[in-house]
Amino acid sequence: MYEYPLIQATGFRNYGPADAREGVEVRLRLPNYRGMRLSLLDGVDVTIDGEFFSHEITMLRLHGEVYDLEAMRDATTVRWAMGDFGTVLVPKVGGLAPGIHNVKVAARTRSPYFPPHLQPLPVNGERLATIVLP
Amino acid sequence: MAGQFKYGVSLYSYTEDFGSIMTLEDGFDHIADTGATGIEILGETHVECYPEPSAEWLDKWFGLLDRHQLEPTNMCSWVDTKLRLGCQLTVAEGAAELERDLRLAHRLGFKSLRPKFGVIDAELTPDPIWSGAVERVLDLANKFDIVICPEIHSPTPIRHPAVDGYIDFIERTGTPNFRLLIDTGIFQNRPLKGWQHEVPEGDSDHAKLINGIAVDPEEFLDIAKYVAFIQAKFHYINDDLQCENIPWDKVIPVLKRAGYDGYLSSEYEGTREPWVAIDQVRRQHVLMRQLEAQYDAALADA
Repeated sequence: MYEYPLIQATGFRNYGPADAREGVEVRLRLPNYRGMRLSLLDGVDVTIDGEFFSHEITMLRLHGEVYDLEAMRDATTVRWAMGDFGTVLVPKVGGLAPGIHNVKVAARTRSPYFPPHLQPLPVNGERLATIVLP
Repeated sequence: MAGQFKYGVSLYSYTEDFGSIMTLEDGFDHIADTGATGIEILGETHVECYPEPSAEWLDKWFGLLDRHQLEPTNMCSWVDTKLRLGCQLTVAEGAAELERDLRLAHRLGFKSLRPKFGVIDAELTPDPIWSGAVERVLDLANKFDIVICPEIHSPTPIRHPAVDGYIDFIERTGTPNFRLLIDTGIFQNRPLKGWQHEVPEGDSDHAKLINGIAVDPEEFLDIAKYVAFIQAKFHYINDDLQCENIPWDKVIPVLKRAGYDGYLSSEYEGTREPWVAIDQVRRQHVLMRQLEAQYDAALADA
């Protein structure tokens, strides 16, 4: 089951070798009320403690596969289903120190039945989340 | 006596609950306890491993229907005409989306399918591929005894070229497998509270979405013969059992006069918080049943 907020507390962690962290992972629930093909997600903007990481440089891991923005736009047969976690990879060299951090996310979701000028529409989340291990 | 409504609930009502604090089994329990006889779902949300559920999931689905004495009413689907950035689906690709969902709806026992077509402008004109795509799957819909129902949803009113287009299609093809679905949000005539953040500032539809487009319920009579399903959209019913946005005391009598005897399928779309929808749906069922009973009693006295 998901935690209710878009940004999940569990799954917020550093990634990369222990002595040379490459970035931070942020686990999300599906940023939509319906399962969707991944090509309908146009990347995810992330802001951690005020530092902005554009959807053009973050990546998404879904079902063990990693997608950059271009790969996401091509993923017309991959489904992010209700109940699946997606993990945003944020390239922050050195990672984050253990402790509480402010995390903001804008998942840029396209809904073809919305007017064209409302696409993509960001699905926003913000919370305090905790890095446990360095 | 006019026809009697059937009462249902869409699992969409529990969008803020489903997946975090509510399972499918919980959803069935809440719906059945309203006294409803029908359940509506979103295929892509509520069917595990959509569009190819496992045999185990299908067993669970039919077991829940049987245990709770609910019938499948309408399955909602999407034709994602802009699946790929910067290009549109072809008619054949649109037809394939419809066929995928007709087959799933049939497997689950639904007799109604609501495809949401992509739009091409701010007026919400459906992508023109819709008619060709639907025409290609009409025989399949007929074989499955399923009615395909596009949704008339705010900010599109009843008197609108998109609705005229759907009616022209019904008349031209003579098909019994394409009808209209009315979302009662079109009758909203008082503003939503606390929804300003849901619509981007300065958007042209901002006021319409917040304040409602206030379609005169009487206009339903003009299109009643084309309507196969009603999603009873609502946003907030207060502690005095008053709906603060939809004029049900005007809507229900018109539906009765029109002889509508299909489903009123609750679609709660209020505050984006968990634990709110379960009781809101119960309140709406009391309200709608009371208004229907009042209408029937007045007719019996006359």
